[in-house]
Amino acid sequence: MKESNRNQKTVACLGIGMGAFAIALTTLTSYVRAEGEATVDPGKALYEENCGVCHQLDGSGVPFMQPELYTSPRANGDKGGVIQMILKGSKAVEPGTSEFENEMPGFEYLTDEQIALIATYVRTNFENTGGEVTSEDVARERKRN
Amino acid sequence: MTLKRYALITALISGTMLAGTMSHAAGKVFDKAAGKDTETQGIGVDKNTAIDTDVGIRLPVGFKASVFADGVGTPRHITVSKDGWVYAPMFRSKDGMGGVAMKDDDGDGKADQIHYFAEGRVATAIHIVDNWLYYGEDLQIVRWNLNDGPVPKGEPEVVVSGFPEQRAHANKPMAFDGKGNMYVNVGVPSNNCMVETRKKGSPGQQPCPELARHGGIWRFDADKVGQDQMKDGYRYSTGHRNVNALDWNPYADALYIAQHGRDQLNSFYPELFDAKVSAELPAEEFHRIEEGDNLGWPYSYYDQFKGERMVSPEYGGDGQKVATEGKKPLIGFPGHWAPNDLIFVKGSGLPAEYKTGAFIGFHGSWNRAPEPQQGYRIVYVPLDEAGNISGDWVTFADGFAGEGPIRSPRNAKHRPMGLAEGADGALYITSLMSGGRVWRVTYEGK
Repeated sequence: MKESNRNQKTVACLGIGMGAFAIALTTLTSYVRAEGEATVDPGKALYEENCGVCHQLDGSGVPFMQPELYTSPRANGDKGGVIQMILKGSKAVEPGTSEFENEMPGFEYLTDEQIALIATYVRTNFENTGGEVTSEDVARERKRN
Repeated sequence: MTLKRYALITALISGTMLAGTMSHAAGKVFDKAAGKDTETQGIGVDKNTAIDTDVGIRLPVGFKASVFADGVGTPRHITVSKDGWVYAPMFRSKDGMGGVAMKDDDGDGKADQIHYFAEGRVATAIHIVDNWLYYGEDLQIVRWNLNDGPVPKGEPEVVVSGFPEQRAHANKPMAFDGKGNMYVNVGVPSNNCMVETRKKGSPGQQPCPELARHGGIWRFDADKVGQDQMKDGYRYSTGHRNVNALDWNPYADALYIAQHGRDQLNSFYPELFDAKVSAELPAEEFHRIEEGDNLGWPYSYYDQFKGERMVSPEYGGDGQKVATEGKKPLIGFPGHWAPNDLIFVKGSGLPAEYKTGAFIGFHGSWNRAPEPQQGYRIVYVPLDEAGNISGDWVTFADGFAGEGPIRSPRNAKHRPMGLAEGADGALYITSLMSGGRVWRVTYEGK
């Protein structure tokens, strides 16, 4: 009796242990997946690769050199403004009106999807509430001129 | 362990290994970049002392700073007249005025009078020669005669005009040799003369057409009005990228400069330069300039770890190919520190060990990200009377940026900009951040 009791206990413990392990594994897996997704946000990655060096990783820009993207009128305005800025760079701004020293290149060589991801990232981060931009929006803006 | 943490640890380990390798390869120069220098010669800031919170900066033992003026605007270079008027042109106009004139009447180290002048003329450079106030706007150098009053009024004389219109690096800093000549830098309008400015994958133009009217120092008659850059200017040197810091060394009788190196090696060539290497490269170059010198821009840049000029990647370089074109600097400072002013002191206000060398104001970096930004300081380079390097450079003033690490330049409280020596031997330093500040630095003795 005692023996079988002990056996039962062992089995039960083993069961609980396995259960806990399974739960832990599931939690860990989902945590890793969530973390994995967070680190490969494609909009963020594209922003960091193409924009971050000048506008800074946190969107804070450089005083007098490159504009900050925080609460940016353009990032919160109509989608076309941001898309044109990414496509044409400084050429999207009327000459002589910029307060910033450095010239921004056009990124027209990126795909519609890449530009949409960057525009969405900028419009939904840095305290901006401009909202999402789609590849179709970018394609439409490309045709405009 | 999460992926993020794993990545972070890997990055830290590889970063430490890389730093170790670079430190080893670079010897002394990188030690300085890493901030391990300075106490060796008994000059420069003592890193064990605290930053003076009243004034926000730290100086070597025996020196004292006062906030000469605060909230004045966006002062850039600075100069002081023989009777103590302090002048600074500004990056942004204030009530329509481009310059500020300041005077301490009661000798307490703080300006009592602050007047604005130069209506509609934002500028960078300023200098006094024979009581003429020379004022360097982007497209011309003008001057007012201070015999007409300490605060300039009315239309100035135009000494040189005809400089090309450009957006980037448009400042016209200048130096005077005391023999009737004025030297003016014309910066390049681009980063590295790519076909399309700052565009990834765009090749370098061969030959670079920008060098015809930019990328060098032009010499003019300091006292002749109505000159034109190309008609009257003499091309003194070439192959510069952007020189904001220049002064005539009165001891060695030669022009000395510090220039900004190119940006974005990593963003354009990630396969050749990782973010960490790109934060350190290329060097900010300190040179003695002789007539006819060519510094190699845009075809080459200076790698301070290798001690060589390297072929620019836009011109076929791969980070390893040594260039044949371009003079090597006397010192390669860490990348992107942005030397924005340079002066030799002439008076006797400072101790002898600061007498014949160069003070360089580093504005501090913006393109070292994702690495922390760096460089917000004043450096002293010891030179002997012949103008040869006579010791390791030291940090003369720091603390400007505030508590680090500075991830974004916006978070730097102050960024040093202009330097000047007063007739009484005091040094003046400007910053255009946080409303603009001017410091006055004096030597009080140990």
